[in-house]
This record gives sequence, structure tokens and C-alpha cells, in this order.
Amino acid sequence: MNLYKIKPWLLILPALLFLILPAYGLWAAFSESIKDGSDVTLTYYHQLFTSERFLSSLWFSLYTSLTATLASMIIGIFITRSFAHFLTDSLPRLSVWLPMLFPHLVFAYVIILIFSETGWLAQMLTMIGVLESPGEFPILTRDNYGIGIILAYIAKEVPFVILMLFPVYNAIPPAYYDVVKTLGGSRMEQFKTVEWPQISTVVMEIFFILFAFTLTAYEVPAILGTNFPEMVSVLSYDWFYSGSWEDRPLAFAAMVTISLLITLMAFIGYMYVNRKRMRALRGRL
Amino acid sequence: MKYKILFYIIAGLLFVSPVFVLLLQSITTPWRFQTAQEMNVQLKSFAVLWSDPNLWTATIGSIVIGAFVLLFNFLIGITAGKALALYSFKGRTLMEALLLAPLLIPVLAVAMGLHLLMIRIGLADTWIGVTLVHLVPTVPYSIKIFHHAYSQLGKPMIEQAQILGASERKQFLTVELPLLKNAIRSVTFLTIVISLSQYAITAIIGGGSVVTLPMVFFPFLDTANPSIMAAFSVWFAAPPLLMYILIEGLLSLLPYSQTPWRNRA
Amino acid sequence: MSKAIEVNNISKAFGSNVILDQLNFQLNPGDKLSIVGPSGSGKTTLLRILAGLDHPSSGTIKLGEKDVTHLDARTRKVGLVFQQPLLFPHMTVEENIDYGARLTGTFSREKTSDLLTAINLTETRTQFPSELSGGQQQRVALARALATEPEILLLDEPFSSLDPGMRQELRYWVRDLLDERGITSIFVTHDREEAMLMGDTIGVFYNGGFQQLASAETILQSPANPFVVQFFDNHLLIDQDHYVPLNKISFSSQATGARVMKAVLLQTSVANGERVAHVYVEELDKRLSLRLPFPHDGGSLDIFIPANHIYSFDSSRGAGRYE
Repeated sequence: MNLYKIKPWLLILPALLFLILPAYGLWAAFSESIKDGSDVTLTYYHQLFTSERFLSSLWFSLYTSLTATLASMIIGIFITRSFAHFLTDSLPRLSVWLPMLFPHLVFAYVIILIFSETGWLAQMLTMIGVLESPGEFPILTRDNYGIGIILAYIAKEVPFVILMLFPVYNAIPPAYYDVVKTLGGSRMEQFKTVEWPQISTVVMEIFFILFAFTLTAYEVPAILGTNFPEMVSVLSYDWFYSGSWEDRPLAFAAMVTISLLITLMAFIGYMYVNRKRMRALRGRL
Repeated sequence: MKYKILFYIIAGLLFVSPVFVLLLQSITTPWRFQTAQEMNVQLKSFAVLWSDPNLWTATIGSIVIGAFVLLFNFLIGITAGKALALYSFKGRTLMEALLLAPLLIPVLAVAMGLHLLMIRIGLADTWIGVTLVHLVPTVPYSIKIFHHAYSQLGKPMIEQAQILGASERKQFLTVELPLLKNAIRSVTFLTIVISLSQYAITAIIGGGSVVTLPMVFFPFLDTANPSIMAAFSVWFAAPPLLMYILIEGLLSLLPYSQTPWRNRA
Repeated sequence: MSKAIEVNNISKAFGSNVILDQLNFQLNPGDKLSIVGPSGSGKTTLLRILAGLDHPSSGTIKLGEKDVTHLDARTRKVGLVFQQPLLFPHMTVEENIDYGARLTGTFSREKTSDLLTAINLTETRTQFPSELSGGQQQRVALARALATEPEILLLDEPFSSLDPGMRQELRYWVRDLLDERGITSIFVTHDREEAMLMGDTIGVFYNGGFQQLASAETILQSPANPFVVQFFDNHLLIDQDHYVPLNKISFSSQATGARVMKAVLLQTSVANGERVAHVYVEELDKRLSLRLPFPHDGGSLDIFIPANHIYSFDSSRGAGRYE
């Protein structure tokens, strides 16, 4: 009897031990960011929020990751809902899995290979006469607008969105669609009344995973970004490794700020989804 | 039919072409419209790549670290996934959220925070330290995948095994593991690729003395030509494929494995 | 001779919700008990406790001479067939059947082929469960349970996921198999007809215990209480103490003093070669289905209840009322 109650906790124990890693890491980063010798200080946060470099980096990061995330999700949802029924076949599935085989940094390089000023696209367009010379090709990598970064993330994250969403889509009973169709619902109506309620939680989850990742990952912007504006992850990494130790607390403060920001957004999103679910439940009573 | 063609066009452009470009570039000379019109096929870029001793150190480093990261992912993912899917206990939903949360906090922040601790306990600059920090971006996915797999397997199936007299170990080997195969494959793939993606956190915890593929890739970016870089990029697929084959081999040893030579009516 | 199973004062509560209340019963080897009751009355919990998947709050269970109350499901010699076949999808039919037998050390090649013959599925030996129909899968599940040579076989609505034709066929077939092999069994169902087909003794389960534990004949002749009357629909409950057999109620006046009630004809249908009237008796606020000897096109009717066939629960021990 008692053993039965303890059993799930025994099973979850390794995962709890694992949680110590991120929890301690975050805590240590936080305490480093407010430590001045043995005193507590907010100096570094003050420095951070008066730093032109950080603020422009923050806006640039938010804009880039939000664009990349939303674009990946819209494309991913579109592909999944249009082709869900034959994503079960092995060849289409395999084609979706293919990009998952390579790390993000490889995809960053693929973007350079294709979209740089001497890349495949520029040369191909020159060859077919669209451009006079490859030099006319717009700057799409290491550019000031984060286009290269966004492209790399889209190429890598669309398959991720599809693989996360596909099982959910496949579990929607086909009869639901028929009901909406017989009631004369449009395609948009179908999406709103049949699909969205089923996928909204997962969509929210994917959004935050992708947003948090693209906002703070180092590898892709390190390859595809410029010196100004730069992504907050690259800036923090520079601060962390700059010759002078004085910048380290700034790296911690920047990372803690970003963590708080994401947590806050996730919390609001969670409350929003839950509030709607609560309403739906009440409606049923 | 029209749908099918449309899908393959989209998939071709979005999913296949990047990989195709890499493969093609890796076996041709750098393409310069101004100098030479046609592509020259060559295999030199792989030869150059493989002749670099750093590459082999890094490949082995990546595989060893990946294998241990994978092992821990199996251990944590299977146990936690089972608990979340098959048992109802107080605080289960909270637990579920907490175990997904590491995906939402910047792994860079975690690595920076853990750095001092790792120095203190002597794990900085060691592959054990790197393995531990690679768990942070991988374990939440594994838990999610195994949670889903156990939910599909269902408690009644497991009770059926108990009724028939299977011990806990026997039940795990003959019923749970064989039915978790797909989840095991997905986890293998995802975990290895994610572990292989980590430059920043490997650099922070490994301090440059733990060499993995990304640690070599970054400096190559400034020096190597596109063909060699493309070959290097293709090479990144080697560890996940190798690990996948290894895991597939191990899975085929499980009892009741559906192997080609098992007769079917 | 010892009993096959002895259940003494079993109780089970989830929080303040009492599922089983001081339950007692025992079966001799070869006995077949059906447990019938409304959905959600706790029948499945009872089976799970007997199988060792759940544990009682108090009371004891003996299998043969052995007290198994504290034994785990893995070590009890009990077979359980669930609503769903729950065959292991990665094993062939034969491997499924052998699975438990090998674990309990009772495996023999002859037994497997004997069971395959018995369930009439020898030719599917090497097929996988997904290649079989629902009824075939359930038969394999039964063979798998029998292969462990359990001291008692528990069946939890094993036919409920099948279509009606298949269900009917499998009922007769399983009953024959259990009789042939002299297997002690407990069959749980919410279907009254199925309960009578599958068991010699019927336990009417409600409110944490047996309202009546008797043969189908006894339940028909002398139902124990108002619940049993209402559950089986063999009688009309007049008040909390009195009931009348449905087949004694008629639409035409009889010589002996009879109680007359007003009824409204709701609908007529045909069953078992007879015209059946579905009427509403306002006085009792009850709907009834009665044999209708003559055609009638709706409206009001009188029903006649013979006074000498109104029985009360305490004085109902007399036999032979249903000759």
C-alpha cells in the first residue's frame, strides 16, 4: 500500500536530481549578478539598462527570435494541417526528419552557402541573367536585419513544429470536420472550431520552446550575425569571456534578465490558455 | 495527387534542398561563376577533412559524450515518463511543468552559472562536466517523448503482464522496452543531434580542453574553403547515424523483436 | 474438500466513498459465478481486488488453502480477461499464449497446441494480433489466461467491445469451454442476459454488496428486495414491500378480485413472436412492457393485477408460482 504511493516518486527521483542542474545554474547566475564582494548590489542591472549596446541588442534579439518563431510556426502549422494525412507515410516523414539530422550550426553554414553574396543563389541568378553580377545580390547573411539568422532558424524549426504538431493533428477525429462541413463552416471556421481548440496548448508550448531557444542560442547568430546589432547571447558570451573579469557580472545580469523575461511571458501564456480551458469546462457544466 | 506533388515541392525546397546543397558542395570544387562554368567533382575535401587529427579527436569526443548523454537520457526519461504516464500522484501536473521548464531558460545562463560550481568540484574542463551540462537541453525532450510513449502503452497492458506472472524486470524487458522502441529511436536521434549542436556551453564548461565537433567547426569557418566546410557539415550526420545503428542493433537483441527472419504467416 | 475461493468481509473505500462493504462469498471448484449490476457499482474493483491489482481496505481472500490477501498480482494463480483483449502487439498469437505459461513454469508445447485448437485459431499461430478480428483477439486473450493454469478465472465484461452477433456467439462458446474444462470462474457484466448465460449463480451487485446471490430461477421466483425486482424487470414493483410477476398482469378482466390500474399505451413493438405493449402506469409512475394479446391503437388501457399474485418480500418463499 505504502510502497505503491512511494513508487512514482522513486521513479521520478532521477528527474528530480537532474533538475538540480538547471535550478542551481540559474540560481548561481542570479547570485553572481547581484554580488559585489560580500554585498548585494544592483549596479550591474543599472549598468545593463543604461547600456546602449545591451538595449539595442535586446530589441534586435526580440525582433529576430519573434520573427523566426512566428514564421516557423505559421509555415509548420500550414504544412501539418494541409498534409497531416500522408505525413504518416514513411517517405514524407523521412523528408521532414532529414533536417533534424543536422545541428543548428550546420544549417547556419548552409545559409551562408546558399544566400551569401558569393553563394549559390547569387551565382545561379547571375547565370540565368537575373543579375548582372553576383555582387548585385542583396546582403542576406551577416546582415543588419538578422535575415540570415531568421532564415537558418526557419529551415531548422519548421520540421520541429511539424513533428511536434503532427501527432496532435492525427488524433483529431475526422468526424469533427464533417460536423463543421455539414453545418456549412468555411475552412477558416474549421480551423477555428475544430483544430485550434485541440492544438492550442501544444502550439503555445512549441511557441515558448522556440522563442526561448532562438532568443538565447549562441551558435547560429555567432555564424550569421554582425557585430552591431548583435544577439544578446553573443553579447553575453563576449562579456563572459572578455579579458577583463569586470564584464562577467554583466553577462550574468543579461542572462538573468532574459530568463525573467521568458518566464514572465510563459506565465502569461499559461494563464491565458488555462483561463480559456477553465471557461470551456465551466461551459460544460 | 495534386496535394502530394505540392507536398513534395515544399518538402524538396524546405527540407531536402539544404541537405542536397551540402552534399553537392562537399563533392565539388567551390563554384565560381566568373572563373569556371561547370562543377568539378572531387573527393579531396573529405580527404583533407579526414587528414586533420583534430577532427578525429573531436569526433570521438562527440560520440563518447553523446553516448553518455544518451544513457542518462534513457535512465531519466524512461523512469520519469513512466511515473508521469502511469501513476497519479499529488503534484503530477506541477512536476510535468517543472520538467519541461529547462527548455525555457537559456542554457547559456545555466552553463555560466554552473561554471563556478564545476570548477569547485573539479568537473570544469572534463568531459563528465560537459556531459552533465548537455543533459540540460536534452532531458526535457526525452521525458516528454517517453511520457507520451508510456501513455500510449497504457496501464492495462502492464497490468496484463503482471496478471500473467511477469516479474518487474521481466515485464520491463519483454513488454515495456519492445513497445518503447519508436520512442527510443526518436530520443536517440534528438539527443545526439542536440548534444552535437552545443558550442557555447561546451566551450564554457569544457574550457577548450574537451574537444567536440563544434569546437573544431568554428575555427574552420574562418580558414577552410566551402567544399571542406560542406564536407565537415555532412560529417556532422555521422555520429547520430552511427549511434542510431548501434541502438538499432541493441534493440534487435530484445526479446520478441520483429526481425526480418522471424516468420510471419 | 476445500473451496476454490473464499472471500471474507472484504471492504474497500476510496476516501469516504465505500465501494465494497463487508462482502462475503465462496465458490467450489468448477463453480461459475456471474456478478451483475449497474455500471459504476464497483464490480470491476472487486475483480481487481481478487486479481491482486488493488488491495482491500480490510477482509481476507483465500484461494484453495492459501491466504492470498497480501499477495501481489504477479504471484497469485488468477487469470483475468479484460474488456479489451490487451494482447501484446509485438508477439505472435502463439507467443502471447505462451507468455504467461513460460513465466509460471507451466509451459508445454502440447498445451499450447491444445489451446490453439480449443480457440479454433491454430492457423493464426504465427500471426500478429493486429491481423486478427476483435473476436479472435478476445479468444486468444482467453487462451493466454487459461495457459497459466489459474485456480480461478476472472472475466471482466470480455465481450463488451465486440459487435452483437460476435458477442452472442462467443458467449455460448466460452461457456462451453469453461464447462468442458471445469474451470472455476467469475464473470462480471452489466448485462442481465449475459449474466444468466455465463453463470450458474448470479450475484446482483449494488451498493457495495450482493443484493441477492442465487440462481437465475430463485431470482425469478423470489427476488430478495426492490432493487433486484427493478434491476431484472421480471416483476412489477407495486410498493417497497409488494411486487407482482409481469406475466400475471393482463389487459383483460379476470374472475378473481384484481386491482385495476389506468395505463397509457406509449408504443407497441414485436419481440420473440409476440406483440408487446409499452405502457405508462401513472399510479406507480412506471413504464412497463407487457404481452399484448390483441391489437390496440393507442390511448388508455386498463391493466389487471390479480390479488392472489401480489407477493411481499418476506413471505415470498413459496415455490411453483411460475409453472
